[in-house]
Amino acid sequence: MSEVFSTASIRLENLSKHFDLVKAVDEVSLEVEAGTLVCLLGPSGCGKTTTLRMIAGFEEPTMGRVFIGTDDVTNVPPYARPTAMVFQSYALFPHMSIQDNIAYGLRARRTPRAEIKTRVQDAVALMELQGHEKKSPPQLSGGQQQRVALARALVIRPKVLLFDEPLSNLDAQLRVRMRSEIRALQRQLGITSVYVTHDQEEAFSIGDQVAIMNKGKLIQLGRPRDLYRQPADRFVAEFVGVSNIVPVEVLESNANGATVRVLGQTIRSRRPPQDPQGQVSIVLRPEALIIEKAGQTEVPARVLTMAFTGPIARYTVAADDDTVLTVDLPNPSPDQFFSEGTAVSLQLPPEVPALLG
Amino acid sequence: MANNLLSLPQRWSAQQQRRIAFAALILVEVLLLVFIGTQLFQVQAVEDYRQTVGDTEIVHFRNEIVGDPPLLVLIAIGLGLPLASKRLRREPVLLVTLQAAILGLVVFVLWPLAQVFVEGFKAGQEAAGFSLIQFEKLLAMPMVARASRNTLLIGAITATLSTLVGTLIAYTLTLTDVPWKRWLRILTILPLVSPPFAVSFAIILLFGRRGLITYDLLHITQYNIYGPQGIVFVQLVSEIPLAALILSAVFASISRDLEEAAEDLGGRPLYVLRTVTFPLVTPAILTAALLNFISSISDFGNPMLIGGGYQMLAPQAFIQLIELFDLQLGAALAMLLVIPALAAFLLQHWITSRRSYVTVTSGARTGHIRPLPGWIKWSLFSLCIFMAILNVLLYGSIFVGAAVKTWGFDFTPTLRNIYGLGSALPMLKNSLIVSVGSGVLGGVIGIMLAWLVARQKFPGRGALDFSATVMYAIPGTVVGIGYIIAFNAAPYFWTGTFLIIIVAYAFRRLPVGLRTSIAAQKQIDPVLEEASLDLGASRLRTFTRITFPLLSRAFFAGVIYIFIRSMTDLSAAVFLNSGRTQLFTVRMFRVMITGTPSEAAAFAALLIVIILIALAILGKVTGKSFVDLFRI
Repeated sequence: MSEVFSTASIRLENLSKHFDLVKAVDEVSLEVEAGTLVCLLGPSGCGKTTTLRMIAGFEEPTMGRVFIGTDDVTNVPPYARPTAMVFQSYALFPHMSIQDNIAYGLRARRTPRAEIKTRVQDAVALMELQGHEKKSPPQLSGGQQQRVALARALVIRPKVLLFDEPLSNLDAQLRVRMRSEIRALQRQLGITSVYVTHDQEEAFSIGDQVAIMNKGKLIQLGRPRDLYRQPADRFVAEFVGVSNIVPVEVLESNANGATVRVLGQTIRSRRPPQDPQGQVSIVLRPEALIIEKAGQTEVPARVLTMAFTGPIARYTVAADDDTVLTVDLPNPSPDQFFSEGTAVSLQLPPEVPALLG
Repeated sequence: MANNLLSLPQRWSAQQQRRIAFAALILVEVLLLVFIGTQLFQVQAVEDYRQTVGDTEIVHFRNEIVGDPPLLVLIAIGLGLPLASKRLRREPVLLVTLQAAILGLVVFVLWPLAQVFVEGFKAGQEAAGFSLIQFEKLLAMPMVARASRNTLLIGAITATLSTLVGTLIAYTLTLTDVPWKRWLRILTILPLVSPPFAVSFAIILLFGRRGLITYDLLHITQYNIYGPQGIVFVQLVSEIPLAALILSAVFASISRDLEEAAEDLGGRPLYVLRTVTFPLVTPAILTAALLNFISSISDFGNPMLIGGGYQMLAPQAFIQLIELFDLQLGAALAMLLVIPALAAFLLQHWITSRRSYVTVTSGARTGHIRPLPGWIKWSLFSLCIFMAILNVLLYGSIFVGAAVKTWGFDFTPTLRNIYGLGSALPMLKNSLIVSVGSGVLGGVIGIMLAWLVARQKFPGRGALDFSATVMYAIPGTVVGIGYIIAFNAAPYFWTGTFLIIIVAYAFRRLPVGLRTSIAAQKQIDPVLEEASLDLGASRLRTFTRITFPLLSRAFFAGVIYIFIRSMTDLSAAVFLNSGRTQLFTVRMFRVMITGTPSEAAAFAALLIVIILIALAILGKVTGKSFVDLFRI
């Protein structure tokens, strides 16, 4: 199937959508390279789904343009766009068999009967749905319905595949399995995809790039590792994983980096803050901190709570100046369980990738 | 159990106590059955023959059993059947409720309906055994063939057109962005709240020989509204609202995702409409069409008022029975009416049980506005406006008509017609007694049956549900005939009492009240009841303290619905009321035929005001609007 896909890039130019006075999407510009998968990640109400629906053509942008490949599709109705969407609810037609669901897009295009047959068979084989063709949607499990939705989208050979929180109706285990399947399939077919989710872990594991949105704006676009190491602002730092965000005193700042002072320690940043004179903070990831018995290093602290999850022990500790920090201790040994109130000491990393502010 | 332990001697174990209680229950029931038996069987002395010996005439009597032995057998079976289930024997409250429900349905639904069939197959008043003579008589009457054909034809036309227009109105008012939707939603379904034959009357006021529009405005003197065209017109006005309501609910619940998915996959708007939207609402469209078909063929008042001699089955059955007093022939005629109605009802039952796609998934986005080409949108809008204006004119003409001297001739304002209502106050009182009584009775039965059907598991649940719902399909004429046959003679002599009307209305309008209660029951999480039982409350306590308070809104909605339908009923009333219990609608109907239009308009206006008051009470008590009330 893969050789017949002709995929295309997506370009959004200053895309805005206002509902009455609410700016659901506010001047979003984004380029998705052909063949890659970009995740739109953000809390609910951040505008990610509205952005996706504007790419599909369900919402008319208030301002801005949508390009698929070199074509401006801003005013093209949904049925004439080369997109196919996988819905959160799957949106399988309840009055049609699985087979008819998959064939729907081809019939709407008046594809010759013989071709419909072979293409539906191919899609059924690709999604491993053999034996379910005659069933009706409610007879299938959630995971199988998800595959039908995917088969139905793929069979029309779209240039762009859109996913609207496709896994949120599945249980945790199935979600993890389906997301790697979707990822593998997207790679194999090399089809440009936009994937909306509010689950950071899902976005990171599936996306070539992740676009973080908040209050209608695109905050940061980048590879997952870059977002994690060098968040553009406090919102990204907090949304992407657990963070300790602590104000710092800037000792020195130049084009090559900065030196700051926090909790009595001096830490080097490879990137300088945007405004060294303003409020500057440091992001200390829980796994970058080390917790030890009291007295071994120079940041004394006291244990507030401890939660053991198996792979790690997660501590919240308070430093002497009452700064509260979260610290993860991987693979703790029996003598590394500190009870509440115990005095401990912390070791901070000597260097961080970036500063906030 | 804790209470029992305190009150009964310690030496009895819990199991023994249960057995004693159960034995007591059975004893009470047997006594009840014996009592019913004595009521149903009476041995009467009947004159056998006379003998003249000399100057004296000796009258010989023989003893004869009067009453309904088959009914007693049915009751005994009904009470006995639940005892066969071990589960039910362990749950006395459930058992007794179920027995009461079976008793009620057997005596007041199945028995009177069966009587229609029994009577229709009798050769004559006193004849016993099975005979087809009534049907032979019917076949010989040209009227019967004509009335049957007319009834089915009108039914088909009305059902098709009302469903079509109702669907278009529902689509416009739920899924497009036309203006004034709030008002149009109310105005287009206005006819639901009045007696259907008031619509006929209003149409005569507007389009009749001296109609305001036909005569005074357009100066048409040749147009004749009386006849089949009038019947269809009136039935359309009365039945479009029901179709619009049913379809609105379904249109509003279609998931937006489905249509968008179809469009996203390349379906153009009309293709999506044809392949996705329309198939999804088809079951609802068929339901609306079948229910309207039943309603059309059962219609009694409108053909009488506006039919202009056009023969239809429901009025003909009435004429056979009341004017010619041929009970057997009337019953046979009623059977002809029941058969298509019942067939439509069974078909509708089958469709809704088999194909219903309206599965409400949580979080599904529904009822969004569809962009439509301007000319389609504005045509649909014009249709809604037309229906709204027509309804306003119809109801307006009733109120204006009541306030003028003689509609059509003299439009001077007067209070004369209002004062004229004074003579009808006793009938109004009768109607209120009957309607309040049937409302409360029907509401209680409805909530009890809903609890059984929606919450409990027992064998024969489907049959119970069906027997409670089947009345929906039975024309009022047939209900009237059935009750008269069943309860007219010894040992009941119920004809002419309020009781027979109250019971008939309560069971006749039960289906809708039952549906509302079942829907409400299903929305209550069973965990709440389980928690109550788990904390040690009895089933009875759980019902009165947990279930009923949660259901009270549905209960009051049911009561008000039955009240309104009872206030506005005519077709069963004409059979069941008597001189002493004459009902307001019967009187009003007579005035419509014999009085001046303005006198009759005052009657209709008063009835509409009473209904509006009932609806206002409903709104205050439950927060529901009248739109919710008529949802099926």
